[in-house]
Amino acid sequence: MTDAVARIHAALADAGVTGWLHALDIDSGEQLDAGADQPVCTASVHKLCVLVALHEQAARGALDLAEQVECGPKERTAGPTGVAAMLDAARMSLRDLAYLMMAVSDNAAADLLLRRVGLDAVNATTARLGLTRTRAVHSFGEMLATVKADAGPEGARALADPRVVSRLRALDPERTNRSTPRDMTRLLGAVWRDEACTPEHGAAIRRIMGLQVWPHRLASGFPFDDVHVAGKTGSLPTLRNEVGVVEYPDGGRYAVAVFTRTAHTAATLPAADAVIGTAARIAVDALRARAFRSSR
Amino acid sequence: MDLVRHLECFVAVAEESHFGRAAARLGMAQPPLSQRVQRLERELGVRLFERTSRQVRITEAGTLLLAEAREVLSRTESFHAAARRVRDGETGLLRAALPPDLSGETVAALLADFGGRHAGLELELHELSTAQQLDRLAAHDLDVGVVHHPCDVTGLELGPVLRRELGVLLPAGAVAAGLDEVPLPALSGRDLILFPRTAAPALYDELLTTCARGGFTPAAVRHGQGASFVRGLVLSSGAVALCPRDAAPAGQGYGETADVVWRPLTGGAPALRHSAAWPKGRGDAAVQAFAEAATHALRTAAGAVPDVPSRPLHLRPASEYWL
Repeated sequence: MTDAVARIHAALADAGVTGWLHALDIDSGEQLDAGADQPVCTASVHKLCVLVALHEQAARGALDLAEQVECGPKERTAGPTGVAAMLDAARMSLRDLAYLMMAVSDNAAADLLLRRVGLDAVNATTARLGLTRTRAVHSFGEMLATVKADAGPEGARALADPRVVSRLRALDPERTNRSTPRDMTRLLGAVWRDEACTPEHGAAIRRIMGLQVWPHRLASGFPFDDVHVAGKTGSLPTLRNEVGVVEYPDGGRYAVAVFTRTAHTAATLPAADAVIGTAARIAVDALRARAFRSSR
Repeated sequence: MDLVRHLECFVAVAEESHFGRAAARLGMAQPPLSQRVQRLERELGVRLFERTSRQVRITEAGTLLLAEAREVLSRTESFHAAARRVRDGETGLLRAALPPDLSGETVAALLADFGGRHAGLELELHELSTAQQLDRLAAHDLDVGVVHHPCDVTGLELGPVLRRELGVLLPAGAVAAGLDEVPLPALSGRDLILFPRTAAPALYDELLTTCARGGFTPAAVRHGQGASFVRGLVLSSGAVALCPRDAAPAGQGYGETADVVWRPLTGGAPALRHSAAWPKGRGDAAVQAFAEAATHALRTAAGAVPDVPSRPLHLRPASEYWL
């Protein structure tokens, strides 16, 4: 295991990133810790917490997942995907908004859901599940507003300046939505074991998480047609995260949480995205090897 | 009244526009936070916030005082950093580091300037790579350094980022050596000599990416670092190397009559980027003086210029954020 941890750190360094990882065998409880208790900024990974809180409220009967929401074209949270990128008024159900929030990290859908569910409810859900170091302090729109304010009048272009990046409140876990790798695998374990919600709502969460479109991070480490990957990414300048569950046809299920910061301020860094998959694969291979040895 | 503590509350509420969030950020409950802000308003005789049932908004008077409040907090931080130095028995000693690739002239200019600013202070100067500096800054074994970008700036404060444009070392007989300035595509087909990648993977990748973007994808990359080794490779194999102007002065084998020449690059030339760096919240007067001296020396002795991001940035949808 220490060998696997060393290989994870070497892979991260080789890709020009600093990173923290926790991997959990969902059924045996075996773990791999490569910085599992590091406080990290969640960015869009926190949409997973919104998703779980939404389904918890549905399970309690506090809301109906088929309830229709008006998505007016004004006052939408900005973003490059989904409702956030659309121009006209739309109307859709809470669960379809949840799909867009998770499949393409739709910021507008996330904030519409957050308005319905409430930030306090999201924190109550994570607290109930024992995630003591996970906390949402603002909406996704508010988080992006701090990036915009801290970047200054030059806008996105200023984010290439390391000095500007060093001042972003959205990259300081004490001042933005936060968690730890271990808290995130705990949440994923609860969802996959149907401890977070009823089995019916757990299945709905898992379905949505399996529909995420991005192939470049966690999924890139598992180029196997018979292996299922479900996850949620999170990104901000120099920050690249993904948490998810990898399921093998032999029944092995592994929750993995990887949080990274790149040395470079460039927005396009394919190697930094791919190393999230590489590191997760090293961790899952190590957990599977351990299970194989103990079964003999 | 503990003015500093009260100002922290004022700034937090102003920045968060929300008592609950400000309280969470300060790690305190909301009622004492509200009381402190009210007490500050009474003490100053100024209304800082408009409160409605739904939101809290800073007043015009509050806006006028916010910058001053931040200044007081920043000076307080600097004062605490100085006090920590005294308490830790480091009175009068500043532990600083420079990267190995700065020219002797740059180092000398920095030391002369710093001596002039802080005559009474003893400087313990180390020659350290960026990776070594980051480790020691994080462990608080180093007070201030000059780092190469790209590097992970988590937990650091930075001085202004400066760039030293890179030129190219090439054999005097090469066609491109006949040009006053060498466009990057003119190097096509040649091998490039670079430092071993493990030393700084992100910088290594940045240099190759910038060369490729400018039209020069080397036939092969050879690894070398020491000046004479690099010179030998250039002479014997026709490979080229990247080098800032101040590290390749005339008279050290790279002059006009030499067998290896240095030429500026055009067309999106790569650059080395530096800045002073110190741990967040520990930027006292001595650290600031060193950072300013380093910035000044890099500009005057190494020809570095402010690094102003000037290229367009096309965020792709997978970036997940949008400004």
